[in-house]
Formats: sequence, structure tokens, C-alpha cells
Amino acid sequence: MAANAGNKIRNAKLVLLGDVGTGKSSLVLRFVKGQFVEFQESTIGAAFFSQTLAVNDETVKFEIWDTAGQERYHSLAPMYYRGAAAAIVVYDITNAASFTRAKKWVQELQAQGNPNTIMALAGNKADLLEARQVPAEEAKTYAQENGLFFMETSAKAATNVNDVFHEIAKRLLEGQQAQDTQAGMVLNQRPAERMVSSSSCCS
Amino acid sequence: MGFHPPPSRAALEPFATLDPAALAGLPASSPLTVRSAALSAQYLYLGTGGGKLLLFTLDTPSPTFLRILPIGPTRPVSAILPLPSVARVLILADGLLLLADPLLSRPVRRLGSLRNVAAVAARAPDASDLTSCSLAVSVGKKLLLVDLTLHEADELEVQTRDISLVDGVKALAWAGDAVFVGTASGYSLFTTTSQAQGVEIFTLPESSRPPRVKPLSGGEEVMLLVDNVGVVVDRSGHPVGSSFVFNSAPECIAEVFPYIVVAGDSKVDVYRRRNGAHLQTIPHAKAGPGVLIVASNDTRTGGELVVIATAYKVFCYHKVLAVEQIKALLRRKSYGEAISLLQEFEADGEISKDMISFVHAQLGFLMFFDLRFEDAVNHFLLSETMQPAEIFPFIMRDPNHWSDLVPRKRYWGLHAPPKPLEEVIDDGLVTLQQALFLKKAGVDTVVDEDFLSNPPSRADLLELAIRNIIRYLCSCREKSLSSPEMEGVDTLLMYLYRALHLVDDMEKLASCQNSCIVEELESLLDDSGHLRTLAFLYGSKGMCSKALGIWRILARNYSTGLWKDRASLSETDSPESSVDKMSGEEIAAIEASKILQASSDQDLVLEHLGWVADIDPELGAAILTSEMRGKQLSPEKVVAAIDPEKVGIHQRYLQWLIEEQGCDEPHYHTSYALSLAKSAMDVVHSESKYGDKIKKEFDSDVQLIFLLRERLQLFLQASDLYDPEEVLDVISESDLWLEKAILYRKMGQENIVLQILALKLEDSEAAEQYCAEIGRDDAYIQLLDLYLDPKNGKGPMFTAAVRLLHNHGESLDPLQVLERLSADMPLQLASDTILRMLRARVHHHRQGQIVHNLSRSTNLDARLTRLEERSRHVQLTDESICDSCRARLGTKLFVMYPDDSVVCYRCYRNQGDSASGRGHNFRKGGIFKQCWLVSR
Ligand SMILES: Nc1nc2c(ncn2[C@@H]2O[C@H](COP(=O)(O)OP(=O)(O)OP(=O)(O)O)[C@@H](O)[C@H]2O)c(=O)[nH]1
Ligand SMILES: [Mg+2]
Repeated sequence: MAANAGNKIRNAKLVLLGDVGTGKSSLVLRFVKGQFVEFQESTIGAAFFSQTLAVNDETVKFEIWDTAGQERYHSLAPMYYRGAAAAIVVYDITNAASFTRAKKWVQELQAQGNPNTIMALAGNKADLLEARQVPAEEAKTYAQENGLFFMETSAKAATNVNDVFHEIAKRLLEGQQAQDTQAGMVLNQRPAERMVSSSSCCS
Repeated sequence: MGFHPPPSRAALEPFATLDPAALAGLPASSPLTVRSAALSAQYLYLGTGGGKLLLFTLDTPSPTFLRILPIGPTRPVSAILPLPSVARVLILADGLLLLADPLLSRPVRRLGSLRNVAAVAARAPDASDLTSCSLAVSVGKKLLLVDLTLHEADELEVQTRDISLVDGVKALAWAGDAVFVGTASGYSLFTTTSQAQGVEIFTLPESSRPPRVKPLSGGEEVMLLVDNVGVVVDRSGHPVGSSFVFNSAPECIAEVFPYIVVAGDSKVDVYRRRNGAHLQTIPHAKAGPGVLIVASNDTRTGGELVVIATAYKVFCYHKVLAVEQIKALLRRKSYGEAISLLQEFEADGEISKDMISFVHAQLGFLMFFDLRFEDAVNHFLLSETMQPAEIFPFIMRDPNHWSDLVPRKRYWGLHAPPKPLEEVIDDGLVTLQQALFLKKAGVDTVVDEDFLSNPPSRADLLELAIRNIIRYLCSCREKSLSSPEMEGVDTLLMYLYRALHLVDDMEKLASCQNSCIVEELESLLDDSGHLRTLAFLYGSKGMCSKALGIWRILARNYSTGLWKDRASLSETDSPESSVDKMSGEEIAAIEASKILQASSDQDLVLEHLGWVADIDPELGAAILTSEMRGKQLSPEKVVAAIDPEKVGIHQRYLQWLIEEQGCDEPHYHTSYALSLAKSAMDVVHSESKYGDKIKKEFDSDVQLIFLLRERLQLFLQASDLYDPEEVLDVISESDLWLEKAILYRKMGQENIVLQILALKLEDSEAAEQYCAEIGRDDAYIQLLDLYLDPKNGKGPMFTAAVRLLHNHGESLDPLQVLERLSADMPLQLASDTILRMLRARVHHHRQGQIVHNLSRSTNLDARLTRLEERSRHVQLTDESICDSCRARLGTKLFVMYPDDSVVCYRCYRNQGDSASGRGHNFRKGGIFKQCWLVSR
């Protein structure tokens, strides 16, 4: 198993949740294409992207679901976070209401989602410091209490964006290793954790 | 969903408009209102609000009416589902399910006794299943599965079972084994294989439009609608790809690969299935009540018809073939759009690989004639089917060597046949002029804007064109082509390089493995003075004599300063020019030597050896000693041909002949030895002549002498074939003592050798060594004599003598030694000498005794062990068997081998001593036991 770890590609479903206009699409656009647009259209339904990330000698292929923040599409969200290996809950540091909404998303995920989902809390638009409404400390404390990892990001200035995804990938692989050593063979694979391995039959 | 190209594309094209009532010949007094429509192959079914079914066929030039079938005036037809696998058409009318035959030739029959059916969906037929069909039916709170099976004589078997309980079903669709159910509250999924509870996919937001589900890709996926958003999920309800965002909330959806056709309010939109991009809008005045209906005959593949039905009219469209769409764009010279369309079709898999290549080639030609050479070649390169010969007519005027090779491809007839570049450019410039003129007059043209604003010059265009064709031909060289094609490519490439004076490229092509046709280029290159290229070309084609002729001319002209490279003509004489001249000459020699090294043509080699060696003796030697040639040169001829002045080459050749080729002709050995000896004499002389040289020069001379002598000595030692006397003649007057010693030795003059070694060179070690080689005791005595009486006024060399006695005293006869010791030898030295000699003898004797005794002890040990082995006890039981014949030993006589195998006496007689019962062969491998070790 360890011998061919290098050529293993791990598919991981990742979902972005958060209030309208917090910058979910902008974060994904930054991560996937390295771009930022000032006038990003509001997402309708959900948009899908995929991007691979190499961590050490392993590769994680993220299947990213960028959901719509508009309340009207809230009911679609479970379809996207169901079976997700990771979720990024995004709020806008210049908008206190969006932080409240983020907490609601965390609650919903804790109640409905998969307990193994790795959750990240991203305080976006960190470039707009003068308009800050949500203190970083507050978010940090909240994240610690709820077992999320937290980062302030800026899709515009490209700060911490790749780091969030990288950290998720790292944790995914660590979690996978822990599982690997626990059980010899996982018969019942969850859809979010399909393993694509070039040679090994039990991963 | 990001960027939408302007919906200007004609993905669907109308081919007929159909007035159902008029076609069916109904009087204007009884109008029809179309409520539902379905396509099955070329048949179009329409259902009306007044309970009529109409059948048309669309495969004739214009739609034809086939039949009308009334099903009851109070039964508005809300859905028509053709079920070709059971040869039926299912109709949902007024909550009842009715079955009709595909041609509507018989009255409809009810399917079961179901009433108030809210929705029905048919499973996409399996390709393998030709006689059955499954339906999902929602009646009241029940979701039913109805299996239809067609038996002989058009007998239809119907089986119904419950799937689950769901209330308020508004829409149904099948995907694989799953039934997707849409209710006012949301979407869920039921599998028909297991009786599982439904799985919720998602709920619908407040006050949204009624649910709609549409199977896509023949039931691989399903689209679930939320307002104007289409969420695509797979058979297990997992989302697939980004959501579709439609311009308006769809009333009806149809799929014709690779498009999705959506009917909304008063218009129909066409989207790309793969990425949801909006391609085309077809506006339709909504005539009267009812909705727009779209239906397609998409049966997984091959579907290409779409009908759009309004209340009173039906509009028939067909898919515009990918190539037709591209052709239309190319005709308008909308290259950019054509290319992006091509890419889309390519991604959709809508266009074959060959067609893609064809389009790229077509694009390339169009762009070429538009003078956009770089783009043109880029497209040529993208075409896998294009043949290099297709562009030959641009380079060489017809008729030429390759005229027959050029395929007569017309493509889409959008461009003129290829003609020489100059003409293409001249014509293109004329077109450009006209366009400029028209533009001034305010008329739109399709000519490149860049060209209009910044008209290119003819010369620039010509160079650009040539450079790009060169790029194309270069990449063609990598492909596997037929040999005439390859010849064309390489020859024309050379032709184009020459046109641009790309001397480096010309020479590179000429000198590498190439398929140039020499006859086509010979006079051309000669005329333009590209002699080096020509020489390389001759060389690479094995026309050695011609190539060498040129190199010789070039070398001579370089050295006399008459010849100058064309390229450097413009340059004034710079300080570098002398360096250039030097290297030019040298390069000619190097190139010539490359050819000569590989050539087996003796006369040719010897003819050119001279001038090459004049320029660089190293090269001369390399030519002679080359091992690349198939047939070796005759040493006789070579030796005769070498200029006697060129001692170095002569020596190198002989050395190679002897050392590498193992030549054992004594006369070459003698020549080599003589030559080396003479060289050594020469340097030794010249060194002694100029006694006062500056230190550095002196050092290098010493070095040279050392090396030369070493070589001479080594050879004299190693070879037995030369004539030592001849060599001795040469060096007799010199101080080359070691060489002399070697020679005398070869001649068997032991005493002279010893004299030289012991007295001249005072190398007692070498002298003793020589004695040992002679191997007779009297040699030592001879040496002792020399030491004790060196003659020539030299005093006795006692130290050397004592040393000799010490080392070899034991093999000298003491009496003889005593005889030689002279009277005037100091007593102390003499006694010492004698003592040593005697001691050495005693020591020798004792050593022998010790060895003798040790051997005896070992012998004794071995005998003891053998005895022990032989006296071993062996226990036999009833089970003991012979290791060879497997018979019980019982009381038989038996034998045991050292490897413990036991055999009966009979087997032993057969087998003998050398192989044991277990097959161990003692002759091949002895046996050894730890306990036999001599331990005492
Ligand atoms: N200054 C700043 N603006 C940002 C940043 N990220 C996003 N924005 C802007 O915020 C607006 C909303 O961004 P989106 O990425 O569309 O937000 P979203 O979360 O995807 O919104 P919905 O799709 O409607 O849920 C856009 O105008 C972005 O340009 C950021 O880091 N800094
Ligand atoms: Mg968004």
C-alpha cells in the first residue's frame, strides 16, 4: 500500500457553503484558474470544478461544488454536501450577518452531514480590513470550539486561498492514513472517498 | 455559468412548417388545438385537446399526413409515448392510459383499468430487449410499475406491481432502474429492483414552478428543474456537473445530441449539452392558448429531428451537421468562430477525427490564400491526414519531379488550387488593394483588418511564407512518409533554405541523413556558390569522390586566400579573417577525413591523404588507422604512399598495424623499430647539440625523449619479429644502453646484456632478474665474475657481489664461488660473503625437511580418519531398504558410502565406487565432513 502511494489519486468531493456574495465562487476561481473578477455573477444552482493538488508524493483530485448562496437554492445544498469529504464554509469579514449565516451552515452540516467531513471556516475579503465587522479572534474561538480549521482569506489578493485547499488535502490524506492503519480493507466505500489507484486492489 | 457566446449559431435549421388541420384535410370549421407531440423515428404523433390523434411522416421532401384517430371528444391528449419495443403508442388522455398501434390503424384500447393517472413515464428501451417495456405510472397515492411484454400474434402481456406510495406526483422519469419522481414539494428517487423507500434528492423552494424531470442521454442522467435552473443528476441521484441556467423557465425540454432544446414562453432556445452554453434562439409567436412543445427523435444517437408545436402549427427542424455549420462559417471567412466551433464539436465527440483533420487542412489553405501564412501552417500541422505533397505546388512550378505525387484534393471548393508562392502573394496583394479601395468607398470586406491597416510588403510576405513552409516541411520530416514524399520534402526544404540563404540550415540538412535528390540541387547549389552544402550533400549520398573534390578545392582556395565564403563577402577584412581562413582550411580537411575514414576505396584514400595530412597530420593518421571502413587498405600501398617526410604518420600507421591489427610481418616490425630508433636518435642528438636551452624547453625535451624511449623500449621488448641487428646498427653509437641490452638479449648475447646491465647501467636488480630468466646457475657465476672483475679500469663491485651471493647463494656452487673470490678481496667482506652463502644453503635444506615432515603428518591424519570412517557401526532394522533399488536389506550383504547412503551389494556392484546410492558422484564432487578436519 505504501509502496505505490506515489501514483495514487484520491478523489475528494468538496463543497463550498456560505451566504450570498461572500466570495465562494471567487475563492474557487482563484484556486482553479488563478483569476479574480470584480463583477462575479451570483451563482445559480451550483457550479462544478475539478482541480488536482499534489501533497508530498500523493495527489488529491478535488471535485468542487460551488453552491449558490441565495436562499432560494438553499434546499439544493444537501444534495451537494451529502457525502462530501470536505466543506468550506465561507463568510465575509465585512458582513456580520454572513458570519451568523456561516454558523448556521456549520450547525446544519453537524446535524445532517457526514461526521467525517473535514470542515474549514474561511473569513473572506480579508483585504478589506478597514470595513471589518467580524473580529478574527471571535471567528477563531468559534472555530476551535466547533473543531473547524479557520483561515482569513482574500480571493482578490490571493491570500490563504491555496493554503485552505492545501490544508484540507493534507488532512484528508492524514485521515486516510489513520484509516489505512486501522482496518485492512474498506469494503464499503463512501462515494466521496473513492480511491483511484493504479495497481493496488485494497487501498 | 460564465461566458456565453452570442446565440448566433444555426444549430437547428427549419425544413418544414406544418398546419395539421389543413394537412389532414379538416374543414376550417373544426379547428385543432395541439396539446402534445411525439416523434418516433420519422413519425410525428400529435394529440389534440379535442381527443384526436394525428400521424404524419417527416421523411419525404415535405411532411405527409398519414392518419387521424379519434379517441373521444372529452379526452384531451396530454401525453404521447411511442413504445417501439412493444409496437405500441401509449397515450395519456383525461387520466386514462390508452394503447394504439404505431400506425394508428386500429381503435385505441385501454391499458388496465387505471383512472386518474397523474403521470406516466416509459423506461428507455434496452438495445437488447426488443419485446418488452416498463412503465412507471402514478395513480392517486400509488406509484406503479407496469411491465409490458409483446408475445406472438401481437399479444401484449401486462404485469402491474406497486413500487411505493407517493402523493401528488406531477412528473416522472426513468434512468436505469430508477424512477425519478417530482412532486410539488421536491424530487425523490425510487429503485425498481429493490423495494426500498424513496430517496429524497432535494426539496423545491417555496412557490416554485411545478416540477419537471427530463431523462437525458438515453436514460443515463436526469435533469430536474427548479424554476429556470436544470440540475443534472446521475442514476443514483448524485449531481453531475454545473447546473444549467436557462433564459426562461422551460415548458418542455428535448435533447438532440449534442444539444438541449428548451421551449419557454414564446421562444425555443438551443443549449450545448456538455457545458450549458446558449447557442441559438428560435422565436415563436405563441398562437392562441397552450404551450410550446418540443419533441425530438433522439434515440441515444442518430436523432436529428426536432419539432416545435404550437396550438395550430408545427415547425420542423433538423440538426445542422457539424461540418455544415463549419462550412457555412468558412464560407463567410469567420475563421475564429469556425475554429471555436470545431473545438466544441471535437469536445462533444460530434465530429470524426478525419473530419477534424480535413477541416484543419481546409482552414490552412484558406488562410494561406489570405496570406496568413503562420496561421495556415499551424492548421496544416494540426491536420493528421494532410499529405506534405499537397503544398509542393506552392514551392515548385508544375510540371516537376513530384507533380504526380500531389493529390488532387478539392476540399470544400473554397479556395483555388495551389500555385507557386509568388503568384499566391501577388494575387493576395491585388485582393488587398481592392479591399482597401472598397473600404475607402465604405464597402465592407472580409479581408484581415491588420493587413488593411498595415499593408505588408511583397518581400516580407515572401520571406514569411517561406519560413512557415520550412516549418511545415521540417515537421513533416519527423513523420513516416513514402520515399518519394520524403525526397520531395527534403529537396524542397533545401530549395527553400537556399532561397533565404540559410547556409547553416542548408549544411545541416545536407550533412545529416536526408532524402534530397542530388540531381535536382547539384547545379543550383553550384551556381549559387553553396559549395560546402554541395560537398556535404555528396558526402551524405555516398558520392565520396565528388565530395572530396570539392573539399580539396575549398581547402586550396582557403589557403591561398582566393576563395571566400559568399556570406562573408560583404564583411570587410577583420582581424578574425585569418582565423577564419585557418579554420576554413581545417574544416575542409576534417570533413574530407570523415569521408576518407569510412571509405574503402584505396585509390581515393591515398589520392587525398596527402593534402589532408599537409593540413593536419593527425587527420592523416586518423584516416589510415580508421576502423570504420569495410575493407582494409593494403599496408604495402599505404606505406608506399606515405610521404617519407611525414615520420609521425608513418610511425602511427605502423604502430596501429602491429598493435591494433596484429600484423606479424617481420619487415613491418623492423620498419617500426627502425623508425622509432631513428626518432629517438634524432631527439637525443638535437638535445645534446643545443646544450644551453632555456629551462622550459629543456624540460619538454626531456619529456619527449623519455616518452620516445619508453615507446621504443616497450616495442623492442614486446616484439620478437623485428631484426635486432638492424636496429642495433642505428643506435650502436648512442647511449641508449637499455635499448641495446634489450636488443642483445633478443640476440642471445647474454654476457653483453649482463655487462650492460651490471656495469653500464649498474642495475644489479635487472641483472639478477636477467640471470633468473636465463635460469642457469652459470649465469650467476658470470655475473659474479663481472662484479669482481669489471675490467676497463673499474674496481671490483663488492657490495653488488655480496648482494648477489646473499640473494642467490644457495644456487651457486661454493667451490666455484671460492675460486672467483680474488685475493685482494678484504677478508671481512669475503668471510661475510662465504658465511652468507653457506648459511643460505643450510637454511634451504632445513626448510625442505620441515615441509617434508608436515606432509607426513597430514598423511597420517588422513589415514586415521579413513580408518575411523571404515570402522563405523550401522544399525539396520526391518524397514531398512537399499537406497538404490529400494529393496529391503534384511540380512543381505550391504555397502555404505561416505555420504551415509546404504545400498545392497548387488547395487554396489552395478554402481561401483564412484557414485553413491543417493546419486552423489565422488569423482565430480568430493565429500567432506567436519570431523575429518586435521585437528591435531
Ligand atoms: N474585496 C474583495 N472582494 C471580493 C473577494 N472575494 C469576492 N469578492 C467580491 O465579492 C462579490 C461576490 O463574490 P462571489 O464570488 O460571487 O460570491 P459568492 O459567494 O459566490 O456569491 P453567490 O454565488 O451569490 O453565493 C464579487 O463582486 C467579488 O468580486 C475578496 O476577497 N475581496
Ligand atoms: Mg457564487
